[in-house]
Amino acid sequence: MRFLERGLKLLKYGWNKMAEEKSIEEREIASWKRKLIGSWVLTVPIMLIMYSGMVFGLSLVPMKWMPIVLLVLAFPVIFIFGWQTIKAGMRGLVTFYFNMDSLIALGTVIAYITGFLHFFGLTQDYSGVSSMIMSIFVTGKYIESRARGRASSEIRKLLELGAKKARVLRGKEEIEIPISDVKVGDVMIVKPGEKIPTDGVVVREESSVDESMVTGESLPVDKTKGGNVIGATVNQDGVLYIKATKVGKDTFLANIIKLVEEAQGTKVPIQKVADKITSVFVPIILMLAVLTFVNWMIFTQDVSRSIGVAIAVLVIACPCSLGLATPIALMVGSGMGAKRGILIRKGEAIQTMKEVKTIVFDKTGTITKGKPEVVDVYTVGKIKKDYLLETAASLEKLSEHPIARAIVSFVDGKKLKEVKKFKILRGRGLQGEIGKKKIVIGNQTLMKEQKILVKGIEAKIGEFEEDGKTTIIVSENGKVIGAIAVADAVKEDSLEAVKKLNDSGYKTVMITGDNERTALAIAKQVGIKYTIANVLPGDKAKKVEELQKSGMVAFVGDGINDAPALKQANVGIAMGTGTDIAIEAGDIVLAKGSLMGVVQAINLSRATFGKIKQNLFWVFAYNVVAIPLAVAGLLHPVIAEIAMAASSITVVGNANLLRRRKI
Amino acid sequence: MKKLKLTIEGMHCASCASNVEKSLKKVKGVKEVTVSVMTHKGFVEADDSTSEEEMKNAVSRAGFKVVEVRVE
Repeated sequence: MRFLERGLKLLKYGWNKMAEEKSIEEREIASWKRKLIGSWVLTVPIMLIMYSGMVFGLSLVPMKWMPIVLLVLAFPVIFIFGWQTIKAGMRGLVTFYFNMDSLIALGTVIAYITGFLHFFGLTQDYSGVSSMIMSIFVTGKYIESRARGRASSEIRKLLELGAKKARVLRGKEEIEIPISDVKVGDVMIVKPGEKIPTDGVVVREESSVDESMVTGESLPVDKTKGGNVIGATVNQDGVLYIKATKVGKDTFLANIIKLVEEAQGTKVPIQKVADKITSVFVPIILMLAVLTFVNWMIFTQDVSRSIGVAIAVLVIACPCSLGLATPIALMVGSGMGAKRGILIRKGEAIQTMKEVKTIVFDKTGTITKGKPEVVDVYTVGKIKKDYLLETAASLEKLSEHPIARAIVSFVDGKKLKEVKKFKILRGRGLQGEIGKKKIVIGNQTLMKEQKILVKGIEAKIGEFEEDGKTTIIVSENGKVIGAIAVADAVKEDSLEAVKKLNDSGYKTVMITGDNERTALAIAKQVGIKYTIANVLPGDKAKKVEELQKSGMVAFVGDGINDAPALKQANVGIAMGTGTDIAIEAGDIVLAKGSLMGVVQAINLSRATFGKIKQNLFWVFAYNVVAIPLAVAGLLHPVIAEIAMAASSITVVGNANLLRRRKI
Repeated sequence: MKKLKLTIEGMHCASCASNVEKSLKKVKGVKEVTVSVMTHKGFVEADDSTSEEEMKNAVSRAGFKVVEVRVE
């Protein structure tokens, strides 16, 4: 006995566990499936009984028993398999929270009751029909729930993306722990092919990492010591030692999921009309069904016919597809975006995007990489480039200035020399001694100060500055040996993205705090048509406002300092560059800091909005045509129900077609 | 002010979602509600004092069940 009890307990536990692990979608699909099978098992015999007589003149059941057999067979279909619908629908009728179940519940229950009224000779027997209506309804719901599951598959995949376990270093031991136990500061060991458990920074070894699942970037990214890595991305070819910097709900992935999920709750303006109609749709249909019944009674005095027509009116109306037309397309669209690192935060953005005429770009961090890089090296006479760079880097290594770091990382890997008597000359440059040589590195002011002649390279300096580059002059024993040009380099695909936008007829504008010359140089490089330079950080929003006078504006910025401008613009597109996502800033967030994302976001918005319009059109057209046909008595209740189920499946299916569009 | 995420089971059409929204909005202290039929999620902004129990009741009045409440 004891044994049996324990066994039962275990079974129950396992069952509950299984049920828990299934998502709500899966549970709903499974539940509709059960109802579908159950209701058809009974409805098929009902149809055989009803139509064998009608079509073949056979009577499987003696005529006088038929109504009772039908009532018995239809009962479980309506009141067991359809119970949830009946309950929700009736509750809606009582509490005035009408929903589409109210229509189906009323339609099927009235049809079922005719089976009893039939005994008194009051009306034709519609109880078999009630069973068919419920079965078709359940079937439609089953197909729809499957299609909806498909629509949300990308977002579900996102949820399942995270790693489950992590291997961490505790003392000298490697132990495997659940991801939820990883704390900030833990050092994780990630082998090739494994998922990086959580956001962190590489502390040892190097490797390349596939970040496509999170940022949409298709090429693996090289990660060396000090490099930031994102949780859920996949380590490719080397073992990485990573110190966890973010865990749980603070991670990049958790933020993406949050953005995408919240977006589903936002509304696309075009939906408002549909929502208004949805909220009054059911009561109107109820009234219409009553009016239809009364009118048919007055004009035909045929109770059976009048009831049949009224039932058809109840079941043909499809408030569901009306309300689903927009959210389902938004869901498919945002899922497609998420896969490519384009996160739609506000449904409104996809509609507004259509009206946008001007696209304004922030410069630093948006068009450019946001940190200086060595872009050109020039040497005097017989001096070798390597020698110049090594000499410069040996000194720069001792400085923390961004330009110094750019030079050091450019030279990375070469041998640096020992420097004595090192001194930082703030705002001008550096000096020190290598061996017996006195090295001075810095700008023109410093050279002038130290009376070092720059005559030979003046032309080159002019050329660098014309292009908006910063020039670092290197001298040895009082003689100039060369110059290094440093600039905030343009991102690789900025040029292509701007070209595409120009070609599509957008007015492209760059806004920056830089001086006119540097700004124009960058704008020219990427093909931007208009430049607004010398803008104070606080004034960007004001400039956007001015541009809005001549049409809707989208602002593209890196989110951290551009928040006011992103808010001011009609559509704010924030760059979620690297490992930080500026959540509150934009309407659309690009996880990969590339401008091609802007082009993709525009394409995606247009495609999604197009699909929404298409869906709404079909739904309106369906209801406008189908309801009058039902009122006119031209549709049998079963046909009406088939049409209704088909229309809501179509809406969901059509939204899934969005996936085929190239973005 | 607190932000809550409710996971709601049983909604299968948009009129369901709008019923849940309407019902939740009637709860004292609730400021902002959006319910998505697609993700089965309801996002609620409400005063700190608003009772979660009342929100759950509001959802069940509209005919559905709250299976999870998470404070954002």
